[in-house]
Parts: sequence; C-alpha cells; structure tokens
Amino acid sequence: MIKYKILIALSFILFNSSYLEAERIVIKNATIYDGIDDSSYNGHILIENGLIKKLSKSSAIQGDRVIDVEGKIVTPGLIAPDTEIGIVEIGALSVTRDDESNIYDVGFSIHSAFNPNSTLIPWNRSNGITSAITLPRNTSSPIGGLGSFFLLDSKMNINSNADMVLIGRLGASGSSSRAETLSLMDDILSFGSSLNKKDIGSDLTIDELIESSSIASYLDLKTRDVKTLFRLFDENLPLIIKSHRASDILNLISLKKKYDLNLIIMGAQEASLVIDDIAKNDVPLIINPINNIPNSFDELASNIKLAQRLEKAGITMMFNVSRDHNYHLIRQGAGVAVANGLSYGSAIKALTSNVAKVFNIENRGSIQVGNYADIVVWEDDPLEPSSMPERVFINGVETDLTTRSTRLRDRYTKDLDKPNTYRN
Amino acid sequence: MKKIYILISIISFNIEATNFEPYESTYKPLPYSNTIFKNANIYDGDGNEFLETDIIIQNGKIIAIGKDLPGANTLTRVDATGKWITPGIIDIHSHMGVYPAPSVKTSSDGNEATSPVTAEVWAEHSIWTQDPQFALALKGGVTTFHVLPGSANLIGGRGVTAKNLQRNTINSMKFPDAPHSLKMACGENPKRVYGNRGQTPSTRMGNIAGYRKSWIKAEGYLSRLDEYEAKSDEAKELSYKPTRDLELETLAGVLRGDILVHNHCYRADEMAMMIDVAKEFDYKITAFHHAVEAYKIADLLAENNICAALWADWWGFKHEAYDMVQANVAIVDQARNGTGCAIVHSDDEIGIQHLNVEASKALSAGIKAGFNISKARAMKWITSNPAKAAGIYDQTGSLKVGKNADVVVWSKNPFSVYALAEKVYIDGALAFDKATGFEPNSDFDIGIINPSNKRIEE
Repeated sequence: MIKYKILIALSFILFNSSYLEAERIVIKNATIYDGIDDSSYNGHILIENGLIKKLSKSSAIQGDRVIDVEGKIVTPGLIAPDTEIGIVEIGALSVTRDDESNIYDVGFSIHSAFNPNSTLIPWNRSNGITSAITLPRNTSSPIGGLGSFFLLDSKMNINSNADMVLIGRLGASGSSSRAETLSLMDDILSFGSSLNKKDIGSDLTIDELIESSSIASYLDLKTRDVKTLFRLFDENLPLIIKSHRASDILNLISLKKKYDLNLIIMGAQEASLVIDDIAKNDVPLIINPINNIPNSFDELASNIKLAQRLEKAGITMMFNVSRDHNYHLIRQGAGVAVANGLSYGSAIKALTSNVAKVFNIENRGSIQVGNYADIVVWEDDPLEPSSMPERVFINGVETDLTTRSTRLRDRYTKDLDKPNTYRN
Repeated sequence: MKKIYILISIISFNIEATNFEPYESTYKPLPYSNTIFKNANIYDGDGNEFLETDIIIQNGKIIAIGKDLPGANTLTRVDATGKWITPGIIDIHSHMGVYPAPSVKTSSDGNEATSPVTAEVWAEHSIWTQDPQFALALKGGVTTFHVLPGSANLIGGRGVTAKNLQRNTINSMKFPDAPHSLKMACGENPKRVYGNRGQTPSTRMGNIAGYRKSWIKAEGYLSRLDEYEAKSDEAKELSYKPTRDLELETLAGVLRGDILVHNHCYRADEMAMMIDVAKEFDYKITAFHHAVEAYKIADLLAENNICAALWADWWGFKHEAYDMVQANVAIVDQARNGTGCAIVHSDDEIGIQHLNVEASKALSAGIKAGFNISKARAMKWITSNPAKAAGIYDQTGSLKVGKNADVVVWSKNPFSVYALAEKVYIDGALAFDKATGFEPNSDFDIGIINPSNKRIEE
C-alpha cells in the first residue's frame, strides 16, 4: 500500500510540469550577453521556479541539472516587436488571417485570435525568438488597432499581455493628403485626451459622448474604441505610428509634445534627417536595419547606416523585418547593422531589453536575477544568421526546438527507401 | 584579296539576316584596372579554395592565378592579405529595373498581366535604367543579374541578363551574346490573377492546359518556319515566308534550344508535371525558381539536369511556400551523388545585396542535415551555377584563366554576415571601391533630397 502511494507520488512528480519548473537548472560556463551591458562576461546561471535565481561569475552553482555550455554565447530570448505571429498562418491566404476588422476602427484587439498552435511559434522559437508583439493590420483610422505581447511557448493556456500597444500610421496614402491624416489624428487624440473616468463609466454615457463629438460620430466610433482612447491617455499606452518621411516624423513629435504621448515610430527610414529632434524628444524607433531601399517617395533617405547613426545619437532602437512571416530575419538585420558600424552590444539590446523597456514588458528582455528565465544558448554568434539556437528556455523551461520544417527535412533525408508518406 | 573580303562580308551578312537579333548589346566595359591581387584567400566559384594566392587581371580577363606570381610593374597592386576573393556574384532571379525603387505604379513594369500567355513581351523593354537598386546590389558584390518578368502569367515573356554596370540605356548593360530566357509560372499566381477575373486559368489543370495549348501553337509555327527555311533560294522566292509572330517566335526559340526556360514553381508535384510538359513538347527546363519543395524531388531534378534557384529560408507568405526546409538548397545540391544544381537567388532588392549571407545560411542548414559540404562548394550556388543557368558560364561565374575578370574582394570570409564587399570589378574594371567611395549613382540619386547632395550621404 505504501509502495503504491509512493508510485503515485512519483508519477505525479514526473508528469507535473510545475515540478519541471521547480527543477534547479544551471547553465554553466556561458559567455553571457545579458542585454544590458555592452560587453559579455563568463558566468553561470541558476534557473529556479522559472526565474533567474542567481548569476555567478566565478564559483560553481549547484543544481538538479547542470548544462555545461562550454563557453557558448547565451543571450536573453529575443523579443520581436512587430509581428503577426499567431494571427496569420499563411500570408496570401485570407482564411488564415485574423489581423483585420471592418467594424472597430480604434479599439480592435487581436488578442483573442491568437493561435498557440500556429507553426510560426515553434519556428520563431527555434530561431531564438521567445516572445513577440503581435500587431493587427492598420485600420481605416490613422490611429487604431491594439497589439498584444505573447510568449512563444506553444501553451494553450496563453501567457500574454493583452492590448498593451496601440498602432497608427502617417504618410503617403495615394488617395488623400497626409495633412488630412494628420488632422484626423489630432482630432482623435483631442477627443481621447478629453475623456475621463466618469465619461466611460457606462456604455450609455459613452454613447452620449460619441453623439456629442463630431469626430467620434463621423468615425462611427464604438464603445470599445472610446475605451481604448481613454486607456491611451489614462495608462499612457505605447503608441506605435508607422511613418517614414522626415517631415512626418517631425509632425509626430509635435503631437507627442502636445498630448504627452508615449510615442514609438516604426519604419522611420528618414530618421537620420531629423535625428536630433528624435533624440531630444526621446522617441524610440522600430527600424528594419537591413532595409536601404528608397521604396517610396517617403523613404528616399533610406540608408544602411541608419542603425549606427541612431546609436551615435543615443536613440533607443528595436528591429523588425519587411517581409511578413520571416520575423526570424531580425537577427540577420542586426548582423548587417553591426557590419555597417552598429556596436554589437547595441544590436543585442535592440533585439532584447530595448523592446522590454519601451513596451513595459516586466522582468523579461535581460539576464538579471529575478527576471523570467527566457534564455537562448547559441551554437555560435547569434548575429550570424547561419548560427542557430542550441537550447531555448522560456519561463525557465527548456523548449522543444523541433519545427514542421525540421520534420519535413528529416522526412526527406532519412528512410528514403520507404515512400515519403510512410516515413516519419 | 578584295574579292575574298567582299565574299566574306556577303556570307556574314547572310548569317546575320537569318539569325537577326534585334536590340543588340552595346555594352562596353569601364577602363581596365590591370591589377595583381597579392596573397588572397580565394573561392574560385568552381568548388575550389586557394589560400594566400595571387590573381592577375589584365585587359578585362583573368590571366593568372597562383602562388607568388611575379606581377609586372604596370599592374596595380592590391594587398589582399587576410581578405577573400570570389567571382562576381550572379543573381539568377531579379526584378531590378522592372520593379524599380521607388515602388510606384508609373514604373511598375514587371507583369503584363492582361493575358495568361504573353511570350511576346521582353523584360528588357520595361527596365528603368535609373533604378537606384543596381548600385546597391553592386555594393553587395553582384556583377551580373538576370531580370525576369513577373509571375502573374503562365508564360510571362523573355528575361534578360545584364552586367551590373549602370548606364542610361538597357542595351549598354545587356550581357553580350547571353541567351534570352523565357519566364513561365506555375501554381497560385496565374490561377489567382485570371481566376479572379473569371478567366482561364482558374485552376492548376487550367494552368497546364494553358502551357500545352501554347506549345502546340509554337510547334505549328516552328514547322512552318523550318519548312520555309529548308527550301532552296528559288523555292523561297516562289513562296511566302511565314509572317512574324512575336509570341510564337519566342516559344519557337525555346523549342529550338536558343531560349532558356526559367520556371517559377513552388510545389514538387507541379514541378514534376512541368517536366512532363517539357518532355511532351521536347524542350528543356533550365531552372525552377523559388521551388520551396525542390527537396522533395531533388533526384528528379538532378536526373533531368534542372537547376533549382532557391531562397535560404523564406516561407509561409503563400500556401505553396508553406513546406520550407532550410536544407532545401543543400538537398538539391547533394542529389544523385552531388550532381544536383542548386542556386541561391534573391527575387528581392534587399536579398540581392546579401546573397553571400543567404548562401551561408543554406550551407549551415545543409551541414546540420548531415551533408558534408564545403564553403568552396557552396560558393557555386551564387556564382558558377547561376552562370550556367544564364548560359554565360563560358565567360563568367568562376575565377578561371581566360574568363572575364568579374571579381569581388571581401573584407573577410564572405560566409559571414560581417563581410563587406570592398572592391568589385566587372570585366577587369573597377566598378566599386569602398575605400575611396568610388561608386555609381543613378540619375535618381542626384539632388533629390538636398539639391547639393547625393541621395545617400555616407
């Protein structure tokens, strides 16, 4: 009887994942880029209960499982700040896209559309991206659409930070003047900044509010939209505006000052022309550091040296990619930026702690005691795109790096005497 | 003597008359930079690696490769110690010029998407020679590129191979005597573009029927042409020459083996089917492009001597690009005891600037998949293999004595993301020099942001 009980207890321990998280893992002999310091140090990391419990430069740490990484580079898990991970499975297949709303112009949230079984999640994780901000497509309003932060751990019980950023756009449209867009943006912000707690107390008062505002009724705003605008000011929500042209960037900076916005500019291909204004007003940028193409008349100043110039001016930067789906290429972009003068430490920060800092993602993005253990052990230099992660930990749990892509690779390189459909 | 001369000129006139090729290349290289590169590490593009070796280029050609070469005093000396030299990079899939930057309607000229078969159009007639993307590609080591029409159509028209020496007419950039290509496209694009208009093709079977109908027409045209050309001069005078047909001229050029087929095709099953279509009409497919599923039929491609021009790791942007494996390039390369022909292509204005890094990713994925592939071999993916697929391997694509001196000097091993092209030579002439800032600027780049400056200020 006692034996039986022990067996039950044992099997409980073996199969309960909370036990796994309680396992004390030591990553030994790591070359650590912690996401804060520009240089690396050699050390050991103790992971316990999903957190980084201890960091040591000298003395060995005891643990249940010791992983000697033999001097390999260890970084915080990368955080991609501009993705459609979890809401778009196949780009050109609209039935797999959940990134658009035809009803909600401002308060459209994609959070509930997130699919933790998307093949993009293991794929990006296997490339070292442990978490991501997923953004909807722009709505018809120049400010509209809420993005969320997601952990890429493939758990059905989604670990996220819902609706933590609002997005918008300013630039060439092909149909109406950017001056109109800017005015509309100003009007929406003016309406939003006039809201207070009492206004949004009930749906009924919100309806009255919309009726009494010419801009809100013109835009046909809904309750959700108004609540989102209230949150923008009440919580000083990060606001990402996609924009490129130097003059647009200056106009956005004026709006930031006027409304005290928590503004982030994305794209910003002409940032180097107004670099002092960006620096002085503390506007973080999300750029695609590999993109030197003057792809529109708003982006004529595109230059491969943008990242280096931003670093010199002390501007906080993060990286995205231009091709949807291929978010894993942010590392390649970072590597190209370093090849063109960006410092290595700044490149690592742009991929990790800068995103956490700018978007208030607490206790992630850096290897520090007390942070969640989102950690990547790299085969080699993480900024060489030919080098891949060897181990990826999310919340202190080592994750599976198998992807649909590696499964297909194995299927077509092993057991070739069998018909493909009878292979593994 | 004079008579003989006249006779020869008549003969040569006749040859020209039957093989008349309009829109001829007027390409002329820049002034030669006769140079000895000392002590370089070299990937020759044919699969070899030479360390601490010298190269001499003279009058546009590679004239010597070897250790401790004695260089004449007239040669410019470039100390390449610690640096790497490769052949000029060749992109077999580019839309530069036909989809130039800025990407605007007025110069978006890559798809004549008004009919599913437009074999009569030529990409070179769309190319905007002031595209600022050419110079950016040059700085990435690209000396030759092949411009294709887009993939909206089953048969999209002729592609052209160009030297990356930007001039203000396309004829002055055309690679002399390079064969034309024919762009064909499988799968989603044609069926989407025409299906959405309620036209054929709207299905993949509609696609296949479309190709077959075109080839049947081309066969008829070619036999009429052959019949006429076989006639004696007197008989010719008594009959009519078949009326020129631009569409069928191009297709007949494929059937005669003069024009190389470059076929946009992602899925393995469709590539296998296209091979059958080619067999039915007795033409050759030179390369499948994009071919995300090439690894599934790598042996079939090798057996049929067909190259696959691939991305290292792009996927998922469309359904037929869903089954990406990073080892795709390597699996194609290693098929049938390493007789496969793998090419890393860009199809992208950013990717073309970093083909060395794309090859590096593909190589590392191949090694992880268990293949034993050297960097020297992987260099073929962006040099000699695309040269073969463009039909210009006898002139460029590898560092061989006698070939064109298309040469890139890299700051470090080009399989690193940190490697930058420092000097690029096209036909033995310096076209880009990072150290001195010697580089081309298109007319577009001049005075467009600030009247006194270039668009890109270093």
